[in-house]
Amino acid sequence: MAERRGVSRRTFLKTAGVGAAATTVAGAGARAASPAVLGPDPVALALKVNGEARTVTVEPRVTLLRALRNHLDLTGAKEICERGSCGGCTVLLDGQPVASCLMLAADAEGRELTTVEGLGSPEHLSPLQAAFVECDALQCGFCTPGFVVSGTALLRRNPHPTLEEVKDGLAGNVCRCGTYPRVFEAVLKAAAAAPAAKRRS
Amino acid sequence: MAEQEKPPAPAPPTQTFTVKAGHASAPHTMEVHAAEGDIAPWDLDSRLRLVKGRHPRLEAPLKVTGRAKYTYDIGLPGMLWARMVRAPLPAAEIVAIDTSRAQALPGVKAVWTTESRKVRFQGQDIAAVAAVSPEVAEDAARLIKVTYDERPYVTDLKKAMEDGAPLVYDTGELPADADESLKKTRRSGNVVGPRERRNGLRGDVDAGLLAADVRVEATYEVPVHTHVPLETHGVIARWEGDQLTIWASTQGVGTVQEGMAEYLGIDRKNVTVITEHMGGGFGSKLHPSAEGSAFAGICCKLAKQAGAPVKLMLHRQEQHLCAGNAPSALMTLRLGAKKDGTLTGVHFRSFGSAGIADGAGSGGPASALYGDCPNLKIEEHDVFTNAGPAAPLRAPGHPQGAFGLESAMDELAHALGMDPLELRRKNETSPVRRIQYDVGAAAIGWARRNRVPGQAEGAPPGSRPAGRLRGLGMANGNWYVFARGAGVFAEVKIHRDGSVELFQGSQDIGTGLRTALAIVVAEELGIAVRDVTVRIGDTRFPAGVSSGGSNTTNSVAPAVRLAAHEALQKLKADTGLTQITSLKQAAARMKGEMISATAERKKQYETYRGDLAGTQFVEVEVDADTGTVRVVKMVAVNDCGFPINALTAESQVIGAMIQGVSWALFENRVMDRNVGTMVNPNIESYKVLGAKDMFEAVPILTEIANAGNNTSAAGLGEPCLVPTLAAVANAVFNATGVRIRELPLTPDKVLAGLRRRA
Repeated sequence: MAERRGVSRRTFLKTAGVGAAATTVAGAGARAASPAVLGPDPVALALKVNGEARTVTVEPRVTLLRALRNHLDLTGAKEICERGSCGGCTVLLDGQPVASCLMLAADAEGRELTTVEGLGSPEHLSPLQAAFVECDALQCGFCTPGFVVSGTALLRRNPHPTLEEVKDGLAGNVCRCGTYPRVFEAVLKAAAAAPAAKRRS
Repeated sequence: MAEQEKPPAPAPPTQTFTVKAGHASAPHTMEVHAAEGDIAPWDLDSRLRLVKGRHPRLEAPLKVTGRAKYTYDIGLPGMLWARMVRAPLPAAEIVAIDTSRAQALPGVKAVWTTESRKVRFQGQDIAAVAAVSPEVAEDAARLIKVTYDERPYVTDLKKAMEDGAPLVYDTGELPADADESLKKTRRSGNVVGPRERRNGLRGDVDAGLLAADVRVEATYEVPVHTHVPLETHGVIARWEGDQLTIWASTQGVGTVQEGMAEYLGIDRKNVTVITEHMGGGFGSKLHPSAEGSAFAGICCKLAKQAGAPVKLMLHRQEQHLCAGNAPSALMTLRLGAKKDGTLTGVHFRSFGSAGIADGAGSGGPASALYGDCPNLKIEEHDVFTNAGPAAPLRAPGHPQGAFGLESAMDELAHALGMDPLELRRKNETSPVRRIQYDVGAAAIGWARRNRVPGQAEGAPPGSRPAGRLRGLGMANGNWYVFARGAGVFAEVKIHRDGSVELFQGSQDIGTGLRTALAIVVAEELGIAVRDVTVRIGDTRFPAGVSSGGSNTTNSVAPAVRLAAHEALQKLKADTGLTQITSLKQAAARMKGEMISATAERKKQYETYRGDLAGTQFVEVEVDADTGTVRVVKMVAVNDCGFPINALTAESQVIGAMIQGVSWALFENRVMDRNVGTMVNPNIESYKVLGAKDMFEAVPILTEIANAGNNTSAAGLGEPCLVPTLAAVANAVFNATGVRIRELPLTPDKVLAGLRRRA
């Protein structure tokens, strides 16, 4: 999963340690000694999601995925494996795709978050979302938001990918209904429709 | 699953329709006897504007933007979150369950514990909690202390068959839901069988095999697969007085309604079940809860106890352990044929494990394919193991059984020195599959296969396989036309402003049912597909079916078509119009505000074929150095009657090929032999096929005007998975000359085979 650069295992462990382990192992004394310590009680987090400032009050151990889904009603990102192996919870963190189940909400403060809801609406689909609809690049649709977000990130990085590059870009997303070829078709179709001038570096 | 409709006996008033049935290349005129009030079926002469076309899913814009609310996504005011505690051991007596610490945890609102004292598999329901957040529920679950007295267990199929193996059920005990057939079948240790089955015996198989010029005998193995629907099983339960509303991730809202009413001892009329969108089931969500868990009922009890709505979604690990799997199969095949390939005997003997349940039969393909062979014997055995009970998984038992039968047919062709496709043609009984052979062989380029397996064209004879080896294989599959002939209803409303609504209870499990039904209404009313609002997945709507056996479209669409037809007739009568060219203009002239017609599906009648034919061709590339098998291209040719929506029908076929290749190459439920628990209850080491494993998938629908109902739809979701496992294994043989009889086709087995061959 080369694409998921937004948060490392190390930062995850660090924050989780501060939020949960420190409170149980070191106790309140250690918390008082460090002003950066959060929790264990809910804390207010200032998030920027789809261009809007949102506040969630959650225990510091709450993942970004659960904060989005259970506290902001942004349920496009799906809870499927909860260990970073399916890509269904992919969101963009400062433009980079990340597995939101592997990241704490507290670590997303001060970052730009984009979820699938922020990429388009049913009335105003993004070109990639429209291509998904036309190509029938979904069956049950549960993995689809993850594919849309990963595909969007891919096209921003590489506006005119080859089929092999599309497969690489979607390698972290699992579909159980077996829709991959039509997802590839949709990504290539959206790429073909994009004017060459809109290429980004 | 619905019962297969028997040919109708002479019965109440019928009307006779003459139908141009079959395939366009070979039309077959037949008479059918439909119930009074039914309308003539669409056939080869019907000029259809929308049906069989390519229509994007109506709900797709909601799904690609993350707006579609699945059960997993629904939150209610004041809702609590549940978490279950499951048995960590494969066999034990429960000595004590202490929930005191969990109950004392702030935020915990309800606790449930099992009354059962016996654990028979890892993942069994033990306890559950409902709390103010998923995090607190998880904490509380961890605080529940269960004391177990461990017992001997057996999780391996072959070990379970041995004399003296630990007994999953003591003598005299049987699964709680054992049916009459299981009760009366001979049982020895953990093995039950041979099971009684229909169409499992013809002639004298030993005599048939004796009369053969060429015989093959081999044993094939398929491991247990799990369903891995991406939306796990789960429900949200809300009580308002005695009214219970359940949002469920299910393949059957009616099944959940019935099951929960029974579990809770309340009237069905007080239970509403809703499934607006559903994230995959593949057969595992046909149970009111799950085969290995009563989670839905437990959730309803927690909600009652807490006085608040409760959401209980299984975690991924639980999904693998208790929410169903596909049984394993250990199959011994004996086939015999004359020199010209005519089969003289087919003997299929299988043992399979559905864990603590039965249902591991895999003789379907052997029973149904090559029906002209005069001598057939099928013996199926269930073997109990300490593992979660199986659930139907896309054509239950058939991909496994076809792997055995169609691998053996390939071996027989090789032994006869015959083209494997010619051997199939020689014994074929279906006119549809005969057409499919030509179509499929052309699409894959069957002539490119290695004449000598493992020997590429131009390579020196007898040279060692090296580098990347290509090969082609094929295999057949079968399925049945299942359809409900009554008790399925649909309501169509035409409003005065010309807007149209369809109400139908069945749920769309990802097959595209919602769109297919809109197409049927639009076709009948002469309007556009997008102009039909489809309201489905709700027990308050006219009764539908559980989506199992590939029966949904052909059970529901005929009722929908009839309702649309009747609504149009009513509109004509109401407005005095004899011809309607614009529904909107006609509707504006109606006397009231709305016209509504509810129709019941009429009986199923004569079909062109009662079976669904399918054949698949595949090209693989095997790396002789690493043993890695890669599928290059697969062609699936399938009959589904009339595809109501060719676009989504093709998606289903593509999906079946992918799921089948995933089973063939990767999937395997691994049990730890030392502790009896599942090693890989996740999505990374229970490997499912991903983007980088993808191949060129070519779905070809054989359109058959099948009659049987007024839409000629027949069913598709399951049959297209049946041939895949064998087709891939046969292609690996053609590429390498190595016959692998045990799935998955992992590099170690390929390399071992190549070494043996060298």
